[in-house]
Amino acid sequence: MSPIVQLKVLLVEDDRELRTTLAQALRVEGHEVHTAASVADARAQLQQSLRDGGTPMDLVLLDLGLPDGDGQELLADCRARRHLPLIVISAGGSEPRKIELLDAGADDYLVKPFGIGELLARMRVAVRHRGQVVNPAVTHWQRDALEVDLSTRRVLKDGTLVHLTPTEFELLARLVRCAGQVVTHRRLLADVWGPEAVEQTQYLRLYMAQLRTKLESSPAEPRYLLTEVGVGYRIVEGLATP
Amino acid sequence: MALQTDRPWAQPLIGLTVWLLGWGGLVALDSEDALANQALVLVATAALATRFLPAWASGITAVLAVAAFNWNFVPPRNSFTVDLRQHAALLLTLLVVIWTIAALMDRQRRLARSAQEQARRESHLRQWADVLQQCQRPEDLAQALARELAGCFRAHDRANTRAFGDHTRMVTGLIKGPASTLADTQAYFSGSCTAEQRAGLLLCQTECRPLGPGTGRYEQQADLFLPLRHGGQAWGATLIKQAATENLDAATLHHLQALCDLTGQALQRRVEQAEAQALRDLAREHLLRNTLLTAVAHDHRTPLATILGAASSLVDQGERLTGAQRSALAQGIMLEAQGLARLTDNTLQLARLDASGLNLNCDWQSAEELVGSVVQQARRRHPQRRIKVYAEPNLPLLWCDATLVSQALDNLLDNALKYSGADTPVEVSARALAARIVLAVSDRGPGVPLAWQDRIFEPYVRVPPTARPAEPLRQGTAGPQPKGAGLGLALCRAVALAHGVTLRQRPREQGGSIFELEWPVREQPEQPT
Repeated sequence: MSPIVQLKVLLVEDDRELRTTLAQALRVEGHEVHTAASVADARAQLQQSLRDGGTPMDLVLLDLGLPDGDGQELLADCRARRHLPLIVISAGGSEPRKIELLDAGADDYLVKPFGIGELLARMRVAVRHRGQVVNPAVTHWQRDALEVDLSTRRVLKDGTLVHLTPTEFELLARLVRCAGQVVTHRRLLADVWGPEAVEQTQYLRLYMAQLRTKLESSPAEPRYLLTEVGVGYRIVEGLATP
Repeated sequence: MALQTDRPWAQPLIGLTVWLLGWGGLVALDSEDALANQALVLVATAALATRFLPAWASGITAVLAVAAFNWNFVPPRNSFTVDLRQHAALLLTLLVVIWTIAALMDRQRRLARSAQEQARRESHLRQWADVLQQCQRPEDLAQALARELAGCFRAHDRANTRAFGDHTRMVTGLIKGPASTLADTQAYFSGSCTAEQRAGLLLCQTECRPLGPGTGRYEQQADLFLPLRHGGQAWGATLIKQAATENLDAATLHHLQALCDLTGQALQRRVEQAEAQALRDLAREHLLRNTLLTAVAHDHRTPLATILGAASSLVDQGERLTGAQRSALAQGIMLEAQGLARLTDNTLQLARLDASGLNLNCDWQSAEELVGSVVQQARRRHPQRRIKVYAEPNLPLLWCDATLVSQALDNLLDNALKYSGADTPVEVSARALAARIVLAVSDRGPGVPLAWQDRIFEPYVRVPPTARPAEPLRQGTAGPQPKGAGLGLALCRAVALAHGVTLRQRPREQGGSIFELEWPVREQPEQPT
């Protein structure tokens, strides 16, 4: 198990009980938790953390049900300074706002009710990938029998080379660069096929099916290439750290 | 508007032919004492000929014929003078008789024509009423009226080569008012017209009076405006451009107005129907809301009671409990909370789906992914159960709302797990059969008794333990009632209905049930080359 990193977390949640419960759970894990009950409060705290010359925030947890606006401006703030990871917490159902924020650059999402274990896992992954889609931290990904090397563009399954078409590899690589995090349909389509293809969900269905057929022992029960229904796709975290 | 015959010259030609034949007859009969006979033949010819000639032609030919008769047959021949006074009387009488016959014939013809016209108009109105029944939206009614009016004019101007029957001349306007039939727009116009004409339509509709030539108001206007009246108000108005050039008579105007009024009546009916439907929808929503609120109050309380019990026990008795007991209580809280979350989701979705005007968020989905993700979630919740998944390779893509279908499959799977023994397998599959894709969940549980097969899809209905067939593999009773409020299947059916697909349940050959969602295969989208 990789060592737990101590993080400075900003939790933006307007429900008092949930805020207290989550903050306590995070503090037990050793994180420094700051809380805000509104977007305005959160933005103010972000500004302040940078101004004091002290340590800046490491991660923002944002609940979507806030009274004073959606998180778009907060997300913009996070992107503007340095790449500050932001995880969206949504109340469930198919919320278009959740997907909008993910498309706009939020790193991951959680649906209430969620377990603390899931929250911690997503937080860890988000920090690991912090702002590194362009120069990815992950160039080599391995899990069980599957191995992906982004620099040599080779994929090995049980030690045997797997032949992937260029598009299939691009798609796989995009998921690997954010291993452990969800990538929305729109971002995948934009990054692999270009911005004019963002509505062509059928491309993803076809190519993901092809990837699963080639890389998974049981395509209907994928162990690595997971589907997040209504949101996008996610490849599980690799076990070997770079 | 009288119908012109195809060959207007046919009738006068026949009339002249009759005259000629008659004249031939007169010549043939010619002898010394035949004047009386000839006079009668002349009258007979004239009577027959007026049938075919217009009144003025009959009058003139009568004069000519009598003059010619005088010249040829009345002594002294070949002169206009008359010998005897009674011959003069004869000639005069002949003329008067022929004129009388012509006049009577003409009147008869006019009466017959107007009766025909009346009958035609009435049948036209009846047909129009039938056409109006067929139209669904107010916009369709407006278009149909414009075309119908154009049809009337076309018949009128058949002799004319100019395209007066062009339906762009007719514009029907429906302007949104207090009693409007229009759904969204402020106004609907079936064709193009100037701003002035629009103002005219609005005025005509608000005042519920016709405007334009022949109506007694705004006579100098070139365009005719007719309101679509019914029940004392106007539901729209029609514009007939350049109507002044038509010189429409009163009867025609009356007929056009009758067409418009029938249309007005149809529009009013639409409003009434829409209002009645809205009331029915509202009543249904209220009923559903009441049902759900009652159910929520009851069915959410039970898991909450368990949670509260376990949590308060941890709080009050925590130090006195063993680690294992505390862990068990905490696990129980987690489980009950998860069940409550599922119940809440189902309740919410059910309410949303039953309300009218739901927009599904559909997209191209992979059946393999849908069944795969549902199975994965279920395995996490029930790690000890055998859950199998099968997806046929290369299935066509499904056009559906992924979240709803996922939730439906999840409910089906949860049901299957609940109602079948812990050691029996449950399978989720996606297959193609003929031109359909079938998503199915099957179990080896006790199955659904025949009497309950339809009822299980109703909200809050669950097969009671006494009605369930005894499981052959177990001894004793069928076991305690599994948890759940009975909403899962109702939601599955609501999802199926919302998508317009079939959800069916049938027993399996060696025991158990299979629930199937059957989708037609849509035309597949283009893939990248």
